[in-house]
Amino acid sequence: MKHYVSRAGTVEAVRGVDLEVRSGEIFGFLGPNGAGKSTCVRMLTTLLSITAGSARVAGVDVTRDADAARHRIGVALQEAGLDPRQTGRELLVLQARLFGLSTAEAEQRARELLALVELEGAADRVIKGYSGGMKRRLDLASALVHEPEVLFLDEPTTGLDPASRLTVWDEVRRINARGTTVFLTTQYLEEADALCERLAIIDDGLIVREGTPAALKADLRTRWGDGREPTLDDVFLDATGRTRDRVAGEVQEVSA
Amino acid sequence: MSSALALGHRALREAIRTPDAVIPTLFIPLFFLAVNTGQAARIFPSGSTGFLHGQGYGAFQLPSTLLLAGSFGTAALFLVEEIEGGYFDKLRAAPVPRYAIVLGRLIAEGVKGVLIASLILALALVFGIHIASGVLGFVLLVALTALWAVVFVGLLQLVALKTRSAAATNSASLVFFPLLFLTPGFVPRSMLTRPMEIAASVNPVTYVMEALRSLILRDLVWATIAKGFAVVLVLGAVMLVLNVRSINRYD
Repeated sequence: MKHYVSRAGTVEAVRGVDLEVRSGEIFGFLGPNGAGKSTCVRMLTTLLSITAGSARVAGVDVTRDADAARHRIGVALQEAGLDPRQTGRELLVLQARLFGLSTAEAEQRARELLALVELEGAADRVIKGYSGGMKRRLDLASALVHEPEVLFLDEPTTGLDPASRLTVWDEVRRINARGTTVFLTTQYLEEADALCERLAIIDDGLIVREGTPAALKADLRTRWGDGREPTLDDVFLDATGRTRDRVAGEVQEVSA
Repeated sequence: MSSALALGHRALREAIRTPDAVIPTLFIPLFFLAVNTGQAARIFPSGSTGFLHGQGYGAFQLPSTLLLAGSFGTAALFLVEEIEGGYFDKLRAAPVPRYAIVLGRLIAEGVKGVLIASLILALALVFGIHIASGVLGFVLLVALTALWAVVFVGLLQLVALKTRSAAATNSASLVFFPLLFLTPGFVPRSMLTRPMEIAASVNPVTYVMEALRSLILRDLVWATIAKGFAVVLVLGAVMLVLNVRSINRYD
């Protein structure tokens, strides 16, 4: 749970979130803007304190042993967190050094990761000159320097063109295939449908749906009972209590 | 400590790649040195002005130049940029001691302080200013200026961590100007009016300036030098504690 205190009083940004992500899966975390997705990710990645309740990542309590948790997780947040004045290689070497690798090991790891995200050609250029897609891929690589058990990706494809988005999807699949658990927040429902084995939908700080995309669609199909095939968009709208009209009228939200 | 050094190395690289942010650090203090000396040198002729100890007025003004140069560090503004861009969170999500994150930039600022102070002093020597305390004095001048740079930038870094705002951090840097003018910058403390003398006496920058000045004009006057170093060490300790506390509570 996360409380914020403002002049208007205490706000519960996230409440009643009870989730379990299985080792080795890609877990999708969906929700409208302001639903609490990023707050959850920031709490799970030790960037935000938890004011009530607890969270364990890879078996480690993130509040009690934040440093041990940091050793086990990789993080790529909404904004590609990169230092624009370093080169891609320098950034990865530094990141690896911060995770305790020796200089030689860090340089070797940087070479491997640059190859993984296909940025070898741009490795010695300063990041300021990278395209959005290149920055995303480098951000992903920097989250992997220490081969984390769990990778948190907070809206990793927001703002990317379709080709770059597909490249990031491929990277995520490749990373997951190597055994890394992926916790992914996204506003793109087709992204969740394409990548995630299971997902949860959060609205107003509460989990309102959880399951596999197929199971969630099947459940809605049953409740509709008129033979129509629901999409994940429909599941999302149903779960968050929005209708397409309300979506158009009140909040700029989903469209697949 | 290796994390702090790695982050310090990164911050130095950043400074090298942004010369446009570093050059004013050198140019503006030298500009003030030339202007202030040009305006007051004839009022205080070296032959008949006791507090100049036989040197020109430029030598008396040199400590202000060093302090001003030490107060132009860019670390805090780069930190705000990093907070806004998300890289700061990347660092916070790494298993790095929190103190290393604040110390990294301060180490780089110290190295920059050494280089800039050495350069200004070398230029001063070229223009005929004599360091009365000799080689050891030169080293102490550089060290005290660099320590001041670390302390001042550290205080600005604290503002950056608290406000996360470039505008607020920039405004906070202007605090230095009243502090610099509330010192015996143009004449010794004993020649100030009584209210000004009281203000200068409670201003810690005064003791740093007097330590620097004694090294340039009077040889190794340890009592004065010690006060200057004591001020930067005490302020530095307070600044470090507050910085570490601030980053530990950063949410």
